[in-house]
Amino acid sequence: MCRGLTPTAPLPKSPGRARGEQRVIHSQDDALGSAVLAVALHGAMTPGFGSLMQDVLWCFSQVKGTTDTGVTESDIISTVEFNHTGELLATGDKGGRVVIFQREQESKNQPHRRGEYNVYSTFQSHEPEFDYLKSLEIEEKINKIRWLPQQNAAYFLLSTNDKTVKLWKVSERDKRPEGYNLKDEDGRLRDPSMITVLRVPVLRPMDLMVEATPRRVFANAHTYHINSISVNSDYETYMSADDLRINLWNFEITNQSFNIVDIKPANMEELTEVITAAEFHPHHCNTFVYSSSKGTIRLCDMRTAALCDRHAKFFEEPEDPSNRSFFSEIISSISDVKFSHSGRYIMTRDYLTVKVWDLNMENRPIETYQVHDYLRSKLCSLYENDCIFDKFECVWNGSDSVIMTGSYNNFFRMFDRNTKRDVTLEASRENSKPRAILKPRKVCVGGKRRKDEISVDSLDFSKKILHTAWHPSENIIAVAATNNLYIFQDKVN
Amino acid sequence: MEFKLEAHRIVSISLGKIYSARGQRGGLKLHKNLLVSLVLRSARQVYLSEPGCPPEPPPAAAGHPEEEPPPCPAAWAAEEPPPPPPQDEAGRDCQGPRPRRCCCGENRGGCAGAPPPPHCPRKRSAGERGQAGSPVKKPRREEEEPPPLPPPPPPSPPGEQEDMETGNVASLISIFGSSFSGLLSKEPKGRRRPPLDGGEAAAGTAPAEAAAEPGQICCDEPVLRTLNPWSTAIVAF
Repeated sequence: MCRGLTPTAPLPKSPGRARGEQRVIHSQDDALGSAVLAVALHGAMTPGFGSLMQDVLWCFSQVKGTTDTGVTESDIISTVEFNHTGELLATGDKGGRVVIFQREQESKNQPHRRGEYNVYSTFQSHEPEFDYLKSLEIEEKINKIRWLPQQNAAYFLLSTNDKTVKLWKVSERDKRPEGYNLKDEDGRLRDPSMITVLRVPVLRPMDLMVEATPRRVFANAHTYHINSISVNSDYETYMSADDLRINLWNFEITNQSFNIVDIKPANMEELTEVITAAEFHPHHCNTFVYSSSKGTIRLCDMRTAALCDRHAKFFEEPEDPSNRSFFSEIISSISDVKFSHSGRYIMTRDYLTVKVWDLNMENRPIETYQVHDYLRSKLCSLYENDCIFDKFECVWNGSDSVIMTGSYNNFFRMFDRNTKRDVTLEASRENSKPRAILKPRKVCVGGKRRKDEISVDSLDFSKKILHTAWHPSENIIAVAATNNLYIFQDKVN
Repeated sequence: MEFKLEAHRIVSISLGKIYSARGQRGGLKLHKNLLVSLVLRSARQVYLSEPGCPPEPPPAAAGHPEEEPPPCPAAWAAEEPPPPPPQDEAGRDCQGPRPRRCCCGENRGGCAGAPPPPHCPRKRSAGERGQAGSPVKKPRREEEEPPPLPPPPPPSPPGEQEDMETGNVASLISIFGSSFSGLLSKEPKGRRRPPLDGGEAAAGTAPAEAAAEPGQICCDEPVLRTLNPWSTAIVAF
């Protein structure tokens, strides 16, 4: 059992790694034993080491949102995103609001309470608009939030609805100037002729105020609905993608954007596929990928041409003919694409599976994980109630060893890429006692249902987890369940 | 054939989705409507194909070799001169039991009307169009289909060329409309077709056509309800 540890490829240390310890990666051939030993030695607090399903125990940490059974649609969370350090967690909702949570400093007095996330700032990012030319209402729903890396004391994020991207600056103010000459404390102007003494205003401390201001508004560049935004690794540009086009922006310039992908056919009747997601490579500022409704991913290099209609790589898996049905096209449509932190892999989510692709192999994914294959026989009903169009997202953990995605009945799934184990967990108020360990859930497909299992027909399809986020370096996850945000952490020994 | 029933049901659900998408907040969702149109085409192809020969044998039917597409044309040729033997597939309009003819999936007793005309001409015309190919061929088929059909797709009204979103749906409808109405034009006058397809035909004629043969309007109420506003929606386009 106690085999020697076999470090195969030491990775560069990520911030937060404790005391210079080296991360141990076991290759596919290593037995479980050495991996267990590794976790036991390094402890569950090893940042980024979320590798082993059976050793990581997920506990409830917090839940945000009301417990009212009647959910107003505007409170439904539509996007969740940690910033690059994990200190901030942003959510956007259908009502156009952004709520930012900040992790409190861990106190020495309460070592068991790892930093909790508390509301830091709330602001209305987008309002409903009306396009008079087309007689269309533009929804204020926040489709995506992406953080910029922090470069000064302020935080910057991009938020987008269907048509407009906005750059928000979130900054703190804890001092204010007092002692103006020309206006009194209430702001009323003084009569200059009444002033007999001059004074220099001084900065005095005030209660901390967090203010969010829109610094840039990038509008009028998209005819179709924006589905993705992605910040480039050069931190100077970003892209926004709609159904048919992808535009490249410079953060400083709002009245121009550069179109880099255009798949709109000359005759719209020939339309066969749309862009569903797009993302920049995490390190190579010239590379990005975009996924399509046909289940394909294209990797483009902006150095080759100004218009990247011709891809550099084309990732597609041949369809399994035994699985053909009326709905094959719908379930093969990719709803999310994410680069791994390393930049070596991309992960895609379609309706029933998550796939991991190696950038060096285009003809098939290297890993395929079934999220909820028991739904394959229910596609017609899911088509009828529109659930088949749900767009699930997927996320990597900090070390790219575990991937997570959501499902129905407020279930979410994690897949360990190394051990090939997976777990189904549930975000529910019933499991919401502080530091309560989440019990793995199981869906019973047929035959006898065991005590703790839930049958497929009992699943609540109105409770869907579409949006999740994983802290960049620790085992902290944020799971959006309709109007509630659950935060889970791994168990502290 | 259960596939035909399911195909019919899917066609009606899909049309309902496309129709209701017009009123959605935020405008037409191109992605969703594209997917719905793909499903609609698949279902339509299955529905129009010879009963017993679904173009894509579902896994459940893998054990029925006689239902494979290749033998079908031969089966048609053999069937046409003699009346097709009554089979239990509900999709066969020709000589099946009365309620089945309505293709609505349930045994509705309320289908009064004239006896059905021979079903074979419809099959023949469907056969002439060829078997529905694999989905890979669908986009090409869509391009091939409009030219041979007599009624050209209705042009988008001016001013809507700029409105790509509703224009897309209009294009989708024109694709389906031309195909359906093309089929309609080849049919004998009194032929039995589900009102669903009749609703897809050139605007204005469908309700009248459907009303002219009350005995043949037998499908589900929900389908009928969506039909008339649907055809008026086509008129609006």
